[in-house]
Amino acid sequence: MEPNSRLSGKYAIAGLGMVIGLPEKELEKRKADLPGHPMLNHAIASPLVDLSAKDIEAEAARRAIEDAGLSNKDIDGAVHVHGGPRSGRGVVEHMDAFPRMLGLPVNFYYHCGRGGGWGTIGIITALSFLELGLAKYVAIAGSREDWTRSHRKEVRDQGIRGQINPATVAGMWGPTYGRTAAAHEHSMFAARHKHEYGTTETQFGAGAIQVRAWACKNPLARMYGRPATIEDYLQSPIYIDPYHLMDMAVTTDGAVAMVLTSMERARDCPKPPVAVLGIGYGDAQGGQWWEGAAHYTKLPVLKAKEAAFGQAGISIKDIDVAQLYDCFTAELIFQMEDYGWCAKGEGGAYVEAGHIGPGGDTPVNTSGGLLSAYHMADLTGISESVFQLRGEAGERQVPDARLTFVTGHGGEVFAPGMCSIHTTLVLGRP
Amino acid sequence: MAWNKPIPNVEKALKPFWEGLKNHRFLLLKCNECGAWYWPATYCRNHRNKPFFGSLSWTGASGQGKIVSYNITRVAMRPAFKDDVPYVYALIQLSEGPMISSNIINCAPESVYIDMPVRVVYRDVPEISMTIPYFEPDTAAKDMHRRGQP
Repeated sequence: MEPNSRLSGKYAIAGLGMVIGLPEKELEKRKADLPGHPMLNHAIASPLVDLSAKDIEAEAARRAIEDAGLSNKDIDGAVHVHGGPRSGRGVVEHMDAFPRMLGLPVNFYYHCGRGGGWGTIGIITALSFLELGLAKYVAIAGSREDWTRSHRKEVRDQGIRGQINPATVAGMWGPTYGRTAAAHEHSMFAARHKHEYGTTETQFGAGAIQVRAWACKNPLARMYGRPATIEDYLQSPIYIDPYHLMDMAVTTDGAVAMVLTSMERARDCPKPPVAVLGIGYGDAQGGQWWEGAAHYTKLPVLKAKEAAFGQAGISIKDIDVAQLYDCFTAELIFQMEDYGWCAKGEGGAYVEAGHIGPGGDTPVNTSGGLLSAYHMADLTGISESVFQLRGEAGERQVPDARLTFVTGHGGEVFAPGMCSIHTTLVLGRP
Repeated sequence: MAWNKPIPNVEKALKPFWEGLKNHRFLLLKCNECGAWYWPATYCRNHRNKPFFGSLSWTGASGQGKIVSYNITRVAMRPAFKDDVPYVYALIQLSEGPMISSNIINCAPESVYIDMPVRVVYRDVPEISMTIPYFEPDTAAKDMHRRGQP
């Protein structure tokens, strides 16, 4: 198939910068065990003590600009990405920070994002300014400080666990009933899929342990050095039934930044360029209240996939490695079906057969994903795609990885005004 | 026991819903033109609308529905729910069609199942001057609710 978009491959990621938090003692041990390991260059100590979200974001941007072989003066556009104003993750207090801290002479700068698709939405924004000729090099940066926020003493002392939610806004529905975690919404999908297709606990667990196996090959991953078996999964505590602890993503501190430019300019940068081949967007807003039960066994993938794969001129069979949004294990199973690796209802069996882990024929979430590595929304998958396509993924490198895609996702679908999106970003070696 | 849970943050467009609950009436929005039911306040999907929600009227509804999906919280993530675990949080499709979510009470969590018929139960909470709608097994229903399609 030929790309149906003249923009496919016209722009590229030329630089990547990362700062990912690991518990301080864990970080010291890994540095001692693996002196000079390149992945540990991206590590800092968590919780953040003398640093704030804006500081790690600016540092990630500084690293991305350096990685692209550029100086701050070259960056003429910038985008701050985040999960949306309702995510409560410091959007207001540091939305104006990183370009100013680095002194970037930008022609434009603003912030955008939604749910778990911020990286891809940031790339759409960057590409629009590059295509309009308003910028030559655009820096994108975003951060999360979930570990620090949820491990503050006053928070722990109150008995609060997990991510810290934003304050309830008018019209939001659910906190009164103990809808206090993202798992309260996302596990509805898992339960419904079990009901309709007979998907089993062991099949959800199979996804968790295969992604964990990838994490054990990535020293930057939160769960590096902690392999798990299906027995470990079944014995891990059930928090929000049907979800065990191991069905849920890790909470981490971190920031990821990248530099986008034309492929022509990216070829002059020191690192191999990563081509942006296709971008698609799907949304369940139109149907969330009216589709009834049908909505809860699929993600809004169809339009996103058709747009992104069409622009790139590819099919699912062409994909060498994929970075799927795995905030919870059901999302893995749903995406196996919704992207067409298997039929609807067969995702559980497909994952259980071992396709997605190391040695499988459909390598998925080679960093360890959101489940076992670091939760930077789709910036986790974008950063891992850059490593894979550049051949920098070390022990977890998929041989000759040339074509990949990253998904972003938000599955909070039945509190009015919450997030129900899907993004598809196809990246490749030019 | 004193109310220690998050207080529903009432938006203006849903005030009649909350007022109805105080009188133990379960109101949904019904389209004046085509009879489609909605919750929360929105625009009718089927045709042009009058300004704001002018095409819809708050109308007494059955308060019955069935469970589309649910979860059981076994570890409280917030202290206000420490004494409630295990508790059931369910997605409910009302007999008229719209979806709503709530706790399923007055039954063992293990007895809850998908497609279970449920009905609204009102809990008056004087401390916050509100009535909170919960749901309980609808023992009278024999799963005869039509699958609502607006």
